[in-house]
Amino acid sequence: MTPSLAALHGNRACALAAIAAGCRFFAGYPITPSSEIAEQLSRELPRVDGVFIQMEDEIGSLAAVIGASLGGVKVMTATSGPGFSLMQENLGYAAMTETPCVIVNVMRGGPSTGMPTRPSQGDIMQARWGTHGDHPIVVLAPASVQEIYDETIRAFNLAEEFRTPVIVAYDETIAHLLESVVIPQRRTVATVTRKFARGDEQGFQPYAETEDLVPPMARPGDGHRVHVTGLTHMADGFPTQKPDLAARATRRLLDKIEQNRDRIERTETFEVEDAEVLIVAVGIVARAARRAAQDLRSAGARAGLFRPVTLWPFPEQALIEAAAKARHVLVAEMNAGQLALEVERILGRGRVARLNRIDGEPIPPADIARSIREIAA
Amino acid sequence: MNEAVRTNFDIKDYLRLEMMPHFMCPGCGHGIALRCLLWAVHELGVDKNRLAVVSGIGCSGRVGAYIDANTFHTTHGRPLAFATGLKLARPDLTVVVITGDGDCLAIGGNHLIHACRRNLDITCLMLNNEVYGMTGGQVSPTTAIDRLTTTTPHGNAEPTFDACRLADAAGASFVGREVTRQAPALKSVIKAGLAHEGFAFIEVLSDCTEIYGRKNDLGESPEMILAQKSDMRPEAFGNAADEPFRPNRLRAGVLVQRDRPEYGRVYRERAAAERAKAKAKG
Amino acid sequence: MRAEPKGEQAAAATRALNVMIVGVGGQGVLMISKALALIGQKQGLQVKQSEVHGMAKRGGAVFSHIRFGVEVWSPTIARGEADALIALEWAEGLRWIDYLRPETGVFIADTRRIVPPFACRSRRHGAPMAYARETPAEALEKVGEGFALDATAIATTLGEPRAANTVLLGVLSTSLDMPAADWLAVLDALTPPKSRAINLEAFRAGRAWAEAARDDPTLRFDAGFVPRARPADAPDMSVALVINAAWCKGCDICVKLCPERCLVLDAEQVAFLKAPHACTGCRVCEWLCPDFAIEVRTAVREAAGA
Repeated sequence: MTPSLAALHGNRACALAAIAAGCRFFAGYPITPSSEIAEQLSRELPRVDGVFIQMEDEIGSLAAVIGASLGGVKVMTATSGPGFSLMQENLGYAAMTETPCVIVNVMRGGPSTGMPTRPSQGDIMQARWGTHGDHPIVVLAPASVQEIYDETIRAFNLAEEFRTPVIVAYDETIAHLLESVVIPQRRTVATVTRKFARGDEQGFQPYAETEDLVPPMARPGDGHRVHVTGLTHMADGFPTQKPDLAARATRRLLDKIEQNRDRIERTETFEVEDAEVLIVAVGIVARAARRAAQDLRSAGARAGLFRPVTLWPFPEQALIEAAAKARHVLVAEMNAGQLALEVERILGRGRVARLNRIDGEPIPPADIARSIREIAA
Repeated sequence: MNEAVRTNFDIKDYLRLEMMPHFMCPGCGHGIALRCLLWAVHELGVDKNRLAVVSGIGCSGRVGAYIDANTFHTTHGRPLAFATGLKLARPDLTVVVITGDGDCLAIGGNHLIHACRRNLDITCLMLNNEVYGMTGGQVSPTTAIDRLTTTTPHGNAEPTFDACRLADAAGASFVGREVTRQAPALKSVIKAGLAHEGFAFIEVLSDCTEIYGRKNDLGESPEMILAQKSDMRPEAFGNAADEPFRPNRLRAGVLVQRDRPEYGRVYRERAAAERAKAKAKG
Repeated sequence: MRAEPKGEQAAAATRALNVMIVGVGGQGVLMISKALALIGQKQGLQVKQSEVHGMAKRGGAVFSHIRFGVEVWSPTIARGEADALIALEWAEGLRWIDYLRPETGVFIADTRRIVPPFACRSRRHGAPMAYARETPAEALEKVGEGFALDATAIATTLGEPRAANTVLLGVLSTSLDMPAADWLAVLDALTPPKSRAINLEAFRAGRAWAEAARDDPTLRFDAGFVPRARPADAPDMSVALVINAAWCKGCDICVKLCPERCLVLDAEQVAFLKAPHACTGCRVCEWLCPDFAIEVRTAVREAAGA
């Protein structure tokens, strides 16, 4: 029994990974450049006794996805910038009610309708702060088709384990990139399913402060008959405005991610041990940055790459370690400077430089290498 | 569902007693609507463990929390979309949506028309009190013309939606309307809606005494609910094509019941056929 | 111009025959009126028929006058001038009984009772009804000739309770001097194919019952008939109102909408049953309480001394 090798587009890999991860419900709305995920799942889901539905808009799509997840099913939706904006309302609801769901955001040029067919990394901050209020969020940023496959499975596992929305954000370039992907045997794929409440229907506290901060979820039909609300609620699930209880409820939501950073964060580094120049990049830009670092190394410069695979929570400690010897840090990204804000916050503005591109074109390795040479000079 | 009518309905069997008394204002018709829903649920023998009540935002959105069932208080205007996902994922559940006139017809209007069109087996109760009560009494899509609200200080000039005709036009396979004054009749309409396989839209004419009634001098709750009853006339629905929006006289009871395929069933049948085909292929 | 009758005998020979048919909406008063009119025509007589219906709807009073003779002018029958009265409903029969000719009028009534809503003068559970109390024996004493039968039961045994009207027509046919074949021919033509056989059967059954009753007057009425003062099997119920003061918000709905006006708001603005004896247990307050604060409990009262 060996894993199989397939040549897949990024969006197709995402859809197949969702099925492998146990996704059995998808609701979405057509939008470039994510539509292939919906198209693929409209064929795949019925084959595994799952449900696909095209809703009337992205608001309804995420609502339906959360509704299905509240029914106890693993769920996903996929969209792009404008649709992602519409999903922010219910994204907050999923975070507040601790409803596992995976949202794929294929980033395209913005703002507004922007450049639907051109790549961008303009949603890095929206993915973190798009919905109102302090809320937990996990954002994964794969950089290859293989990683889309793997990270989509991981997105489901994290969503289920921590009862939280997880966003998989990648840009249009990778979405439509055809690459070889190692597809593992189904049985070797490690999948996680949320804890469901069992027994003890009387006095069951759906939002109790359990040791791992992730309470078991009551599934309709199992007898717990709980109340789920987007209002700030107590352990029993009913709304409260008592300051101490409200603070505690929100604190737990944030802490369940904060205290499990080591389980959630994932990074990739390239030649960082002695790097005097560190490039920080995500997604497709990181692939160009790696080439740039290699080229710089060939030319005798000690260049390295730090790539957060988990974008949020940002792998702060890993960045500090990777940048330990770096005199210069270059943040290269396809936006006007979003990732740079976080890197500057962590490392200080003194040694951080920026390379930005907002014209709908990817950043080529030569541009990154040139920037590094300019900074170092 | 158990076909046999059960007797001895005690509403306390279906309430979260620790939450009572509920938060609604004195004389609010939403309580009567809640009773009628639970009464219908009781008579149909729906298992509380398999009853899912999805509500949105506003006074109507808070009604579900008092029901001893699986209750979901979702976002403004979206309960039908949430319910769509829940029912498709869990066809074994009896899914009821409780929504209001603003929740269902303004912010959630798009979800309503598509829910009607799609015909998933969901029962949607729209509690129409003609106003945004929770936010202090602003004009809603069902506020009668000339009425005073906090955002129509000179009288409402916007024509009023007839939600039942909207649902009918959008293809709902069951449309009903009743006033709270006729509690047993309201119970019967809800019961018929619950028993109907497909999307059932039921408009409940409720009263907002504290805000809307007071502002418009419509009297206290007893006067308001009696006035709603006298607004019911058998001729208005269906032959009021010349009136673009809501006629002054409304028809009550089951207004539309048509035999249309239930979406979830059709989807599952096609999926099963697809799987059988794939299996045959090997 | 109608020829003036020369004397009593001549008057009897030329005067019209008057038949009244009464009942409630839905029973088929008009159907047998039409049958009777056609039979009259078949005898070469002039027929006038008038009716009141339409406003009655289902369950409301319906009556029809049929007059036939060599010459008939007025379409209606005056009080005391009906030769026969067919009542499809018991109380309706009693209501029109003084339209019969005092000495000779023939009274034919179904003893089945259809109690109209307005006969329920109290909403109290098991309250007595304002429905006619006369027994068939009492009613038949008031008329020249009387037949009180459970025509609905006869029709039901034939398979169609709605054919009770034809059963009564069969009874009437024994009082009128018209050939049975004519009656059957008219019914055959008048009834739709679906119910034709059963109507002919019902007519024959009514005729057979009447012929037997003519031979044995004890068969002319059901001696076991009991006037119902209250609904059958209605147990004696006690009513108690349980008001949950903690849930009541004093909205006044129960006070204003109680049909008996037996509730008030007390000093604390909580619903209070001021007139417990007036409470009929109708549950309107329970149904309309938005706060579920009122519960109507009814129980079967134990018989005194039991």
